[in-house]
Amino acid sequence: MKLWNQYRGLIAPVLVVALLAVWPMLTGKPANRESAFTILKAIALASSLNILLGYTGYVSFGHIVFYGFGGYVGIFLLSGMGWPLWASILAGGLASGLLAFLLGSAILRLRGGYFALATIGVNEAMRAFINKFDLFGGPTGITLNFSVYKAYGGAAQALQTSFYIGAALALLALAISYLVRTSKFGLGLLAIRENEDAAEVMGIAAPWAKTWAYVLSAIVPGMIGVLFFFKNGNVEPGDAFPLHASIELLVMVMLGGQGTVLGPILGAFAYQGMRGYLVTSPVFKDIQLSVSGALLLLIVLFIPAGAIGWLRQRVPLLRRVLA
Amino acid sequence: MNRKLSILVTFFALASLVLAACAPGSVEAPPVADGSDTEKTVVIGFTSSLTGAQEVSSKRQVNGLTLWMNQVNAAGGIHLSDGTVVKFTAQTYDDESNKERVQELYTRLITEDNADFLISPYSSGLTAAASIIAEQNGKIMITAGAAEDDAYKTGNTSLFQLYTPGSQYLLSTVDMLKTLDPSARVAIVHENDKFSTSVVEGLKPYLESQGFEVVLEEGYASDTTDFGPVINKIVESGATVLLGGGHYPDGSTFARQLYERKAGLKFISLLVAPADSKFPELGEAALGVSTSSQWELSATHTPEEAAALGKEWYGPSGQEFADAYLALTGDKPTYHAAGGYLTGLILQKAIEAADSVDPDKVRAALEALDIFTFYGGIKFDTRAEAHGLQIGHEMVVAQWQRNDAGELVRQVIWPANVATAAPLYPIPMP
Repeated sequence: MKLWNQYRGLIAPVLVVALLAVWPMLTGKPANRESAFTILKAIALASSLNILLGYTGYVSFGHIVFYGFGGYVGIFLLSGMGWPLWASILAGGLASGLLAFLLGSAILRLRGGYFALATIGVNEAMRAFINKFDLFGGPTGITLNFSVYKAYGGAAQALQTSFYIGAALALLALAISYLVRTSKFGLGLLAIRENEDAAEVMGIAAPWAKTWAYVLSAIVPGMIGVLFFFKNGNVEPGDAFPLHASIELLVMVMLGGQGTVLGPILGAFAYQGMRGYLVTSPVFKDIQLSVSGALLLLIVLFIPAGAIGWLRQRVPLLRRVLA
Repeated sequence: MNRKLSILVTFFALASLVLAACAPGSVEAPPVADGSDTEKTVVIGFTSSLTGAQEVSSKRQVNGLTLWMNQVNAAGGIHLSDGTVVKFTAQTYDDESNKERVQELYTRLITEDNADFLISPYSSGLTAAASIIAEQNGKIMITAGAAEDDAYKTGNTSLFQLYTPGSQYLLSTVDMLKTLDPSARVAIVHENDKFSTSVVEGLKPYLESQGFEVVLEEGYASDTTDFGPVINKIVESGATVLLGGGHYPDGSTFARQLYERKAGLKFISLLVAPADSKFPELGEAALGVSTSSQWELSATHTPEEAAALGKEWYGPSGQEFADAYLALTGDKPTYHAAGGYLTGLILQKAIEAADSVDPDKVRAALEALDIFTFYGGIKFDTRAEAHGLQIGHEMVVAQWQRNDAGELVRQVIWPANVATAAPLYPIPMP
């Protein structure tokens, strides 16, 4: 019973990810596997961003920098140094965590709009740097040779393996998110979100807590970056640091409900599911961007607290299971 | 109350969209044979950039492919020796010029839309991602708009490149400069993307081998709209010739600002943008700007040329293609449109040669292909280290000049044997 009380908020998020992981197997359709991968990737990224945005209250417009940087490091090690995929993924995550630690020590002194602007600058600066960095291929990036996939049973099997690793990384992201949310450390972050000065007066070491929140929010994006570019066969600066993807992540977190574990998962699911449907729908595919924009506008206007926030406000009973 | 109602409606709309996205068979059923034993409808699958940075060129490519498909179907399809009549239909999605969904869409095209053959997305990066899906499913993918060399050096067996590879794009321009002004000082200013950088990687060593001095090499971001600082560097470098550019949006802006800033260059060659029929909308800024072109109507290839080279001629004449394209779209064809048409024409030729739509037989036919069309020569590298790379096609140099009526027209200025006008060198000062 104690275990149930401790982890009941984890049930719904795990169920969503588990269903997504088995959906392609149940339907037997490879196209569903690709759609599910896009959603799982979004879940991992949005849940990671939520640690900073939802729990700590710091808006990062350039969070995608960790995805790109980790991806580049991992693909370089995989392609150039012959590292195995699992080690490259770990290295990508660690590299992003280290980058977040160094950046966080500097820019987390800023607050509000100043911090948000700095994160945009960091992303653009990193893209410009990678563009000139010959070791990572400069503007042409790194293209994987097909022989890389042979070690994983060929391209078809490599894509299948990538999907299951993607599901595992999504689970890892939500586990980190849940553990932070329910820990003393997480309470400290929530206090910083509400009033940073008051939190410091209460004894919370805000700079330390914020930096570690930033690091935790960067590790999984770095790992998922390696996996995505491995699956895609190449990485180049424009694809590794797309600023619009950061904005999309913010939308996903806010759509589902920032500051909750389940919110970013539902937000990512709804946003990517909607885009996936619209882009292939015979009716909407030519106007899909307009339709998705209009729908998002409606949602933000009418449900500013996000889906989970809205449900928690109106159905008190659900507060026990919707963490 | 109204607010609650609105919230409910919004929720239901979202929920229905998500559910529909999850539902199987949310896309139209793929076309099938009409019941006749002798007719087969082949599905050609591709994504195109209806939105995003590659929109202009990508749409022209799709128009070209559509024209070919209309023509071959209207002519009764391809007749195989076993009595099968092969007709074609297309299944396509918008990839938004974004790599994220390309693999998802190509998997859908193959496994749910049952595409038999694939055409590449428009751009080297998108094609590299899509080629993995093609390879794993054993599907042939003919590429147009994916000129960068690296994508064909990954060990694939399914890609077949229509365009001259990026590393050779500007070599004929250098040959022309060698005859016009061997002492020219060259600035290379290019978009920092996969394609443009691969062009420069082939260009710079060739310039140096021909004795030219490269006084500036500079890259710019794809979304650059202010070229002022770059133009200042060009002027300060003392360059007399500019080679570079990237794609349509940046190239047209770059050309306009070069004119407005009176950069004083004797010769300007930009990639892609000046090859588009919208380019003269720049007015005087377009005058004298040249480009390397995969194909120009004014210097279209002919059966006589094919005969002289001992090659097999295939397909319509350039004028026949241009007239049909104009009738379909109301627009003059560019090399992107011709490229789209050729992807279909090559497939048609390979199916005829294979006398089958079996992928392995068609692949073998493509590997053996060595033909000449209005677009020029087509032959693919069959070595494992560069499988599918185009080795039979050569580019021309075209320049915007004024005709006798004072209109801006694109003239072919190199090679000399197909030139329709002498090069405008130096470009008149604004």
